[in-house]
Parts: sequence; structure tokens; C-alpha cells
Amino acid sequence: MSNDAIRNDESVVVAKGLSKHFGDFVAVDNFNLEVKAGSIVSLLGPNGAGKTTIVRMLATLSEPTSGSATVCGYDVVRDADAVRGVVSLTGQFAALEDNLTAQENLLLMARLRGYPKGSATRIVEGLIDRFDIGEFRDKLVKSVSGGQRRRVDLAASLVVQPKVLMLDEPTTGLDPRSRQVVWSTIRELVQAGVTLFLTTQYLEEADALADHIVLIDHGRVVAAGTPSELKSQIGDQRVDVVGVDASAVVLIVDALSATFQVVVDHNRRTVSVPAPHDLADLAAVTSALSGVGAHIDEIALRRPTLDDAFLALTGQVPESYENEPAMKEVTP
Amino acid sequence: MTMTLASMTRPGDEPLPRRPGSLRRFLRETGLLIVRGLQTIPRVPQRLSDVTIQPLVFTLLFLYVFGSAIHIKGMSYQNYLLPGLLGQSLAFGVIGAGVATATDFNTGVIDRFRSLPVTRLSVISSQVIGQILEQILGIVIVAGMGLALGWRPHMSPFGFVEFLLLMLLGLSAFTWFGVLLGMIVKSSDAMQGIGFAIVFPLSFLAGTFVPIAGMKLIPRTIGDWDPLSALVASVRHVTQGTNTTGSWQLAHPVVSMIFWCFLIIAVCVPLALRRFMNSN
Ligand SMILES: Nc1ncnc2c1ncn2[C@@H]1O[C@H](COP(=O)(O)OP(=O)(O)OP(=O)(O)O)[C@@H](O)[C@H]1O
Ligand SMILES: [Mg+2]
Repeated sequence: MSNDAIRNDESVVVAKGLSKHFGDFVAVDNFNLEVKAGSIVSLLGPNGAGKTTIVRMLATLSEPTSGSATVCGYDVVRDADAVRGVVSLTGQFAALEDNLTAQENLLLMARLRGYPKGSATRIVEGLIDRFDIGEFRDKLVKSVSGGQRRRVDLAASLVVQPKVLMLDEPTTGLDPRSRQVVWSTIRELVQAGVTLFLTTQYLEEADALADHIVLIDHGRVVAAGTPSELKSQIGDQRVDVVGVDASAVVLIVDALSATFQVVVDHNRRTVSVPAPHDLADLAAVTSALSGVGAHIDEIALRRPTLDDAFLALTGQVPESYENEPAMKEVTP
Repeated sequence: MTMTLASMTRPGDEPLPRRPGSLRRFLRETGLLIVRGLQTIPRVPQRLSDVTIQPLVFTLLFLYVFGSAIHIKGMSYQNYLLPGLLGQSLAFGVIGAGVATATDFNTGVIDRFRSLPVTRLSVISSQVIGQILEQILGIVIVAGMGLALGWRPHMSPFGFVEFLLLMLLGLSAFTWFGVLLGMIVKSSDAMQGIGFAIVFPLSFLAGTFVPIAGMKLIPRTIGDWDPLSALVASVRHVTQGTNTTGSWQLAHPVVSMIFWCFLIIAVCVPLALRRFMNSN
């Protein structure tokens, strides 16, 4: 397949029965994937799920124990060099030369991609502007902050515009502003025809960016689909009522359990009831609660989140932005 | 940060250069990576001092402090010590190469290179060549210092070429060994530890500073068969014409050293390449 002529419905990344064993330990088990050209596919899973292992196999850094995968039609084992020509990878941990400056690192990557000095320098200047690296461009990478490193690392994988960009947890450790830059860069790259394969532990990130989400746990695919397909697997929307304290929760449950099927989450002081009829159900809940005298923090109509999806499908709650403020996307 | 992709010099705007033939590519990439290694030397004070200050201190310390109590029959201590120090520098190359390799693997920068369309052979050869250049710097400093302080080698032009070739062979062997060790232990601290626990004592027992023949039974036995002894004895043989007595390898130091070096290369190179090409 000629990689210049990728049609829109063409699968750019295909994995078939991909497995990786470390000794007796099965890190990835029979993983299948198809990523269409120009789409964003997100691999979502908790720590140790096998995300990095999958990315490393697709980026030719690690050989699969069994199964096969192709990128732009090139086999990741037999045509590894050709795969490296079309893929750019930003691994989970910044992979830079600590004792070179940010600018020298970027220049080295551009030169290694084959550019002569002149155009390499122009490319690097563009990236320094885009990722706001100017301020620390001449500092040794070992002495810049974690988030700054991360930005240099991302810039380093964009010295060429790759056919496929693989990002392993690209926004972990970034401040909200830098996260916005990454998100908008990702969207622009997709506009420009780049296919994105990214991993994340953040549901919001997968939800906000991805066209297609693959949920994995313990090396196996747990569920896959568009964000809304995944959500609909979990069920309908619901009304959440949050009490100010434990006694309020008891009052709320008393008031609602007569008419509704309630689910109580004591940790979050939340009482949930199914709300298939939108506003009518919301109204019913509010009227049932009026005059009960329970102090209520919040009452809201909610669509199921990927959190719920995860909980339902794997029985565990993944890491979320819950405790980190300002993680929601800010639309400018 | 407000720029959009359209307004910046987009990577795609620069035409990607045509890929040259594989040999040119290999040489170009190896060159770029060697330069990257050398660029970092002055920025890691410890690496710099390992190849400059440390050999200087050793030379001075042994020449003027311990040396005053050591008397070698028939030659000045300078002429005894300097070949020993040159041999020791070769052996310390194991530590230098190991630490540099372990560090590269730890920071993930090797993974970055491996994920680029760069010939993998160039990544590992640049590592080896860069290390050899770094060690040569240290060796030149030691030799220069020695000459200034009264070391007088006796070499014919042929002997000088023999000396250079032996040094180069030793450097290659010990550097490959170091690169392999660095990949196996994967931690620069552990590499330093191995250096101090194994290479350091072995280099002291190798007849570097005092003759092996005068040592007590156990150190003498170790020294007799220590590969580093062959190294030191052979450097001493080609630079001063001195013959060492003792075990077979000491009586035939040049042949033994060539044997050891080829053995190390024959074992380490394939192992290192295999590890490098398909590590996980
Ligand atoms: N080189 C290795 N040797 C042995 N086990 C490994 C190796 N690499 C990964 N593993 C194991 O494989 C499993 C999957 O690891 P992986 O790094 O792919 O997880 P992940 O989904 O990326 O996790 P995280 O979110 O923490 O980055 C883990 O249990 C890990 O311990
Ligand atoms: Mg990971």
C-alpha cells in the first residue's frame, strides 16, 4: 500500500491478536485494533493495564510475543524501519538527552529525521514558538521542570508531520494551560490529516478527544466504541442528589425510595435515581424532596460518564481528574 | 502558544529530504550521535573529571607520594608507573562506557533514537566510538603528563605503531564490555558500584603500581591471571621493552593481551548487539 494515498476509510493501524508476555506474565492478551485514517483512537485503562506495552509494540520498540500489527500497511516486525518512517512516538516518560539544551535536543531529532541543518533549524524554531519553549530553550533539559520537559518531548515527536502520531499519556503532569496546547495541537494535527493513537488514564481526556475508545484492563479489551456508545452500554441518564452530610443522605434516601429505585454512594454522599424521562423525573425528584428538610449540596440530571462505564465493566474506578481542579476543557 | 499550525513553519512544509543510501545514512547518523555524546562531556562534571583530573591525581599521587617508597630494579619509577597507568585507563573505560550506556537507557533517550527511522547499528556504534574518543582524551592527558614528569618510553617507529594498535584494541574490547554491562545493569549507580568493587581492585593487582612478583600468595595468584595484568605488562613491554616474569600470560603479555581482547570482543559484541536490537 502506498502511504501517500491513504483514503479516509482506510485502516492505518491494524493489530491482530497482539500479545506480549514477560516470562509467565501476560501483559497484553490478544489485542485487536483498527484505527481509521484521520481519526483519534484512545486507549483507556488504569495503571498496569498494558497501554504502554501496546504502544511500544506498535512503535516497533518491543516485539510482540504473538500476533501481528501493521502501520500504514508496514509490518511492525518485518518492516520496522518503514514503520518508524511514518510514526512519531512520544513515550510515557520524557525521552530526551538530559545534558543537551531543549533547542539542541530538538535540533538533533530533526537532523536524525534526515533534515539538513538549515531546514532543521527552521523547523525547531517553529516548534519552540508553538510549544512555548523560548523561555527555557537554552537550558539543559535536566534542569527544566517536569511539564517543560514534557513539552520539549512532545515537540520532539513533531519535527516531522507523521502519518501516525502515538502519544502515551501525553498530558500527565501538565498544567491546564499546557494541556490545552496539547489538546488543540492534537485537533489541528488531525485536521491536517494525521492519525492519532493516544493512551490516557483520564476519562475526560478520552471523552473530549477520541472518536473511538478502547477500554483495557489486565491486558485485555474490556469494551470498545465511540464515547457515546460506551456510555449507552451503561444505561440511561439519572438524577444525582448530593447531600451535605451523612444524615442528609439518609433523609434523601427515605424521601425517594418510596417512588424511585435509588442507588446510594456514601463516599460521595450521592443518591442516584434513573431518569429516563429527563425533566419530568427531575421535577418528580425535586418535589419528593421538598419539605423533607434535608440539606442538599447539588441536584443534577446526569448522563452516564465513562467513570460509570469503567466501574460497570471492570469493577474498579480508574484514576480521574476528581481531585485535580481545572481539568475540564475550557473552550476559549 | 497562540499560534496555530497554519501560521507556524509546519514540519510538512519543509520537504523531507530524500533518504540517502544505507551506508551514507549510517555514517551520517553515527556522526550526529557521536557529536551528541561529545557535546555532553563538558556538561557532566563527573565525566569530565573521570578522564582528566582523576588520571592526573593518580599520576601525581603515585609518582610523588607512594612512589617514593617503591623501588623498581633497573628502571626509574616513572618508566614503571606510566605504562601501568595507561593500562589502567583502558580498564577504567569499562566503567565510563557502562555508566554512559546505563544512563542513556535510563533516561529513555535510547528508546527515542530507536523509535526514529535511524539505523540501529548507528546508535550502538556511536555509543562505542564516542566512548573510545572520550577515553583517548584521558589517555593523551596521562601520557602527556607522564612525558612532562620524566617518563621516557623506548620505542622504535614500529614499536610505536604496535603500541597504538594495542591501545586501540584494548579500548575497543573494554568499551564493548562496558556497553554490554551498562545495558545489563541498567543503572549508572550500579555501574559505578561494579567499577569500584571489581575493576578498581583488579587494576591494582595487575602490576600497575608495584610488581606482582613481590605480592603475597593470594593477590599474586589473582594478579598472575588477571586479564588486566596482561594488559599492563604488554603496554610496559612495548613502551619500555621490559619483560615481566611470572605466569605464562605475564611472560607472553602481547599475545595474551591480544587473546583476551579478542575473547572479550567475540563474546561481548554479539551479546550487546542482540540485546540492543531486540530489547523490550
Ligand atoms: N519489561 C517488563 N518486564 C516485565 N513486566 C513488564 C515489563 N513492562 C511492563 N510489564 C508489566 O506489564 C504490565 C503492563 O504494563 P504497562 O506499562 O503496559 O502498563 P500501563 O497501562 O502503561 O500502565 P501505566 O498507566 O502505569 O503507565 C504491568 O503489570 C507491568 O508490570
Ligand atoms: Mg504506561
